[in-house]
Amino acid sequence: MNEYMGIAVCFLLAGGLAGLMVLLAAKLGPKKPSAEKLAPFECGKDPIDIPLGRLAIRFYLIAILFILFDVEVVFLYPWAVVYRELGMLGLVEMSVFLGVLLVGFVYAWDNKALEWK
Amino acid sequence: MTEQMLLGVTLLYPELVLIGAALLMLLLARRIRGTRIAPTLTVLAALGAGLLAALGLSAESATGFGGMIVRDSYSQFFEVLIAAALALGALLSWSDEPDEDATPPEYYVLLLLASSGMMLAVSAIDLMTLYLGLELTTICSYVLVGLRVERPAANEAAIKYFLMGSFASALLLFGISLTYGLTGTTDFAGIAAALDGAGTSPLLLVGLGLVTAGLAFKIAAVPFHSWAPDAYQGASSPVAAFMASGPKAAGLAVIGRVTLEAFEHQAEFMSLILISLAALSILVGSLLALSQTDMKRLLAYSSIAHAGYALLGLCAGTAEGATATMTYAFFYVFMTIGAFGVVVALGERGERLDGYRGLAAQRPALAAIMLLFLLALTGIPLTSGFTAKFVVILAAVQAGEVPLALLAVACSIVSAFIYMRVCVLMYMSDPEDDQAPATPPRMVTLALGLAAAVTIVGGILPGILSEWTVFP
Repeated sequence: MNEYMGIAVCFLLAGGLAGLMVLLAAKLGPKKPSAEKLAPFECGKDPIDIPLGRLAIRFYLIAILFILFDVEVVFLYPWAVVYRELGMLGLVEMSVFLGVLLVGFVYAWDNKALEWK
Repeated sequence: MTEQMLLGVTLLYPELVLIGAALLMLLLARRIRGTRIAPTLTVLAALGAGLLAALGLSAESATGFGGMIVRDSYSQFFEVLIAAALALGALLSWSDEPDEDATPPEYYVLLLLASSGMMLAVSAIDLMTLYLGLELTTICSYVLVGLRVERPAANEAAIKYFLMGSFASALLLFGISLTYGLTGTTDFAGIAAALDGAGTSPLLLVGLGLVTAGLAFKIAAVPFHSWAPDAYQGASSPVAAFMASGPKAAGLAVIGRVTLEAFEHQAEFMSLILISLAALSILVGSLLALSQTDMKRLLAYSSIAHAGYALLGLCAGTAEGATATMTYAFFYVFMTIGAFGVVVALGERGERLDGYRGLAAQRPALAAIMLLFLLALTGIPLTSGFTAKFVVILAAVQAGEVPLALLAVACSIVSAFIYMRVCVLMYMSDPEDDQAPATPPRMVTLALGLAAAVTIVGGILPGILSEWTVFP
């Protein structure tokens, strides 16, 4: 049980601190509401909408491209940590991985996925 | 360690050829639009990969990547078969006027990547590589089905296939995680060692059941079949031909290896699951095919029934039974691609059952070749279909599953009615319009010829495959 105690304490501290900040901001902060400020914020689109309406496909294209780089970075971190132990083999393997991802990136660029039009 | 990795790479030459060709085409995609480069490169890559896999057939078994991948006669046999399905699929996609909406270079990239995933899956001796390979195939298939975005039917098919496919993948993963939880490994040999004499705890049975359910989805075995008719109907005909052949063969190969290597000590329970899947697939597939009026749906239900026949070989849980399934998968791929190929050759007209009315009078050669594939699908002697059905039903009898074998024979007779209905329309009805269908592109004719050649040779020389259908 003891080894999980740290996690529980961490949850309590993090939750308490975050709650405290929100509470302080709500009590002490100045309030000058306007229509824009009161609008719910959700990545550029109204959160409550008729679902049959059209959605701008651009957001999804950007999201997919983001995943391409996101996954790349997620794999780069652990690789960087054990880089010395893996040596040359790790470098070659990571280059192959990055090369394949790069092909996807070049394809997206080549087909004008990065142009906001 | 470096040398070991390099050795692992040498086991994956066929996969690397396909992936290399796919990446090259992706880089060039915008520049080779509207040319013949993409289909030509795909066929060449498939031939290259098939040749490399064939060279590996007689090579010694070897494992690589720390026991993730194996190269043995079983994996190489299926890799050759997958390469053949890819080559025929690419030939069937050929059109005299390069059609940018239906087959852009990305279409061929997806075909290549899907095939490399299948090859990876049949070489896998670890549940994780197996899952990755199958998932690569499935994700490419989702896109291939929905590629014709302007057609509502394609969109519907892709969404249905995607939702059900993701659910099945989740089942498979859940099963894998339960198996891992019980055995502490995802390696086939390790699982078998850990489960030796472990009996059957309820948790293990759930794990086995979920893994088998996830894999049964990939070969569209009843009750995990409902995606297939919709997906084949919505997809373009060459895609349907490809999906009904390659992935199904790969799925059967994977089920065979998992049953015989990972879960060899649970043979009794596995054969219970496989017998139920086989019996249901044969029965439901044959009966539902009776009421179809759309040719691709008819062939989809036929392919469901055939998945059941192919599973007959695996019910016994023996190497001989797996050999029968290898033979079945091989001949099945060519006769199904052939039958779908005739649908491709006839265009829009070939998608309706009524489109076959009076075909024999208008295009005698095409009608004759369709007759050949339909006879093979029924299992009439002197076609490869008879050879294939004979070996699997024999395997079922040898395993002592006589009622199952009788059901298979009875449903073969039912299926004869389905296929003969098409023949009657072709030979004994008047054409519904006087216009004869256009001549199919030369490459489509070539693919039909190749599939027909295999179907005839397999019927006349039934033992021709025996040297290669070896389960290690």
